[in-house]
This record gives sequence, structure tokens and C-alpha cells, in this order.
Amino acid sequence: MPPLKRALIIGDGAAGTIIANKLRLLTDRDELEIVVIGNSRIHYFKPDGIQIPLSLKPYKKSVKNPVFLFNAGIQYIRDEVIRIDINQRFVSVKAGKSYDYDYLIIATGNRLTPEDVPGYEGEAKHFYDLQPALGLKEDLTRFNGGDIVVGQASIPIQCPPAPYEFTFLLDQYLRNRGIRDKTHIHYIYPLNRVFTMSTVAKFIDELFEEKGIMTHTLFNVDNIDTKNKRVNSIEGESVNYDMLILVPPHRGQKVITESGLADDLGYIDVDRHKLTYAGNDDVFAIGDATNLPVSKAGAAAHFQSGYLAHHIASDIGGAAYEEEYNGECACTTVTGKDNAITLFFSYDKPPRANFNSKSDFLLKWTSADTYFSGMVRGIM
Amino acid sequence: MAQEIKPTKIIDARGSYCPGPLMELIKNYKQAKTGDILSLYSSDSGTKTDAPAWIKKSGNELLGVYDRDGYFEIVLKKTRQ
Repeated sequence: MPPLKRALIIGDGAAGTIIANKLRLLTDRDELEIVVIGNSRIHYFKPDGIQIPLSLKPYKKSVKNPVFLFNAGIQYIRDEVIRIDINQRFVSVKAGKSYDYDYLIIATGNRLTPEDVPGYEGEAKHFYDLQPALGLKEDLTRFNGGDIVVGQASIPIQCPPAPYEFTFLLDQYLRNRGIRDKTHIHYIYPLNRVFTMSTVAKFIDELFEEKGIMTHTLFNVDNIDTKNKRVNSIEGESVNYDMLILVPPHRGQKVITESGLADDLGYIDVDRHKLTYAGNDDVFAIGDATNLPVSKAGAAAHFQSGYLAHHIASDIGGAAYEEEYNGECACTTVTGKDNAITLFFSYDKPPRANFNSKSDFLLKWTSADTYFSGMVRGIM
Repeated sequence: MAQEIKPTKIIDARGSYCPGPLMELIKNYKQAKTGDILSLYSSDSGTKTDAPAWIKKSGNELLGVYDRDGYFEIVLKKTRQ
């Protein structure tokens, strides 16, 4: 019998959990030991961040204890990785131990860096983590009209459609409360359109116009003037606000930079098709931790995990896996009351958005259930 | 004969997809001094329209857009304080 190999996975978010579970389903315990290291207190289904602040969903349905999300036969170590050494082939954790590996999979995700925007902290709101989303819910309850500015401070961010999704739901929330006519919604965006993908941007822009949402494109946030309640752009434009809902900048995790594996923003530069790092055929990165030219989204991590799990399982079995990852991703995004669109795309096939669909809306509204019952378990 | 423009900095974003090249330009612009000339190399066709639009909006000077061998070169002079 060939010696037992070890797949060491760093990260217990969507990417780390899905790849661990998929690998376990595709390999036997006597051929591959799967070890996951992570220190998340909760596993939060982040797409629900657009619903929670608007009282559309109780947050408890969006969180699980990460311990219970791993399939049997996976060793889960709750600790923080402090060093990754791909030359000596080991990973060190805060508790003092080190772990070697045959396959290393880095799935460490993002971190939010509001400190990158002067004036942000204590002033701007956001919905990109559970506590800020709950805080925003309280703030919105007290809001009775004025100027709301929604947008993102910079690119890249997780789940690129989320700012426009939130804006559509906010529009409906204000209508339901009878204060939409007393509120101006401003949408700011860093590019010269309202979304990265131009084929989708036109569709979203028309819907914004229909709903009276004002857009400010080529708006890269420089700073927030808290005294005058004004957000200023690098391009020299300013927008006044009574409430500022701004997705903070993102960076990769510090341990990636400190281990010498990161680009300028802290992300890992991996092969676009093989997901390998710097030509090492036993070091991979998936999900938001990479600088792949695909959306930073659980949906992308899901597709990457499918490819990588099959690749590793084939390698253990001594067979070549001929497939490659080609940037596949699919996501359903909300565009208003009872409406959503589903986008399918890859590196060479841009998405198309032509019509709204109620069935897509139902797909989106139940996605946490689908995620926790099937997707995160590796069976989809 | 046209005088050759010597950039203060070359930003090589070839191989990066939209919006990567524009974000690279903006990042370097923030660190540049007034009067600096930045030259952006991009193989993404969208940059050919996105970068000049941003340069115009930001109140800086577009010195040129050039078709090179397999990529575009967009040259900016930082004129804003």
C-alpha cells in the first residue's frame, strides 16, 4: 500500500471547508489524511449581508459553528497559522506546533482594511461582516430621510455585485417605510460604469435610472470628510451624505505577506488554470486568497474546489487529470423586489444579463439553505 | 521629428484583466508627484478606453495612447496638485 499522504488546508471559510469536504468524498482515509487549520469563531454565510441590515432575514440562519461543517474523516485544528514555509515544506501555528504536508492548499481569504481610508473608522457603515451588518440594521431603523451614499472604497472586493444588490434592496426598504421620496440614494463606483463587467453594467444602470438612484462613476474614494459629512474621490469629486454605506478596502491576510507569498495587496499570484503557486506542483491557493481575475466569491471558490479536489484525487491515484480551471463562476444577484439575475461566466466567456427572473430571486433567497445543506459539504 | 516622452515610471500591467490595469494606474498615481509622467502598459483592450476616461475625469493630462506590439501604452502627466 502506498504511504499515507497529507493534504494541509489553511483556512476554514467557504473555500477551505468546501475543498476539504470534496477531497474527503473523493479519497479514502488510508490514502489521504486531510488536516484543516483555521480559527474562525463562526462560519458566516456572507451573501446574507445584503438582507440582514434591511430586516429581511434573522442573522441566526446565516451562521453555523465551523466544527459541524466538516465531513467525517477530516482533522480540524483550531489555531492561527503564523508562518508558511514552502521551501522547508511546513506550516507553523500560534500554539507552537508545525505541520508538514504533501499537498498544501491556501484558502485564507481576505481581510477588511477600513484603516486604508482616512476618516472611515467610526463614520462609514458596511454590511461585509456580521457585526457591521447588525450595526447598520440599527442605524437604518433610525434613518428618516436624507442622502444615503452606497458604494465601495476600492477594487477588488468580495462578491462584486453586493453593493448594487444592497442598493436595490435599500430602495425597496425605503419605499416600504414610506421615506423613499425623502431620500436621495447615491451610488458611487470606481470605474466608468456601475459594475466591472460591461455586459452587466448596462443592465444595472438602466434599473438604477428607473428607480431614481443617482450614479457617480469613476469615483475612487480618497478620504471621508467627517466634519462636513462628505466623501471625496481621488478624481476630485465630492458627494455629501447623511449616511455613508461604504464597503471598506480589502487585502489578503498578513500571514501571506509575512511568508513572502503575496503581491502588493496581499494576494497570492497563482497559475490561472492549475491554481499552483510559483511553479510548485504541491502548493495551491483557491478562493479570495488569490489574485485570479475572477470574482472574489464563494461561488468561484466552489468551482475552483471542484477542479482541485479532482486533480489531487487523480494524482494520489496515479492518474493524470486532464481538466483545467478556466475561471468558471456562477452567481445569482438581486435586482429589486422579487427579481434577480443569474450570471454564468469564465475567463473567456463574459456574462450576459438580459432579463430579471422571479425564480432566480427564489434561488438567491434560499441560497444559505442550499449552501449549508449541500454546497459546503462538497456534494454539489 | 517628435520628441520622445521619457516616463518617470512605467507600470507594466500586461497580462492583467480589467479592472486590474486601471487600478494599477490609480495606485501609482496616488504615489506620484505633480509633474510626473506615468506610462501604463496593458494587454487588456478595455484599458484603451477606461484609462483615458479616468485621466480626463481626474483632471490630468493624457499625453498619448499608442498601439504597441501586442499591448497598448497610455501615457499620463500628473498635473493636479
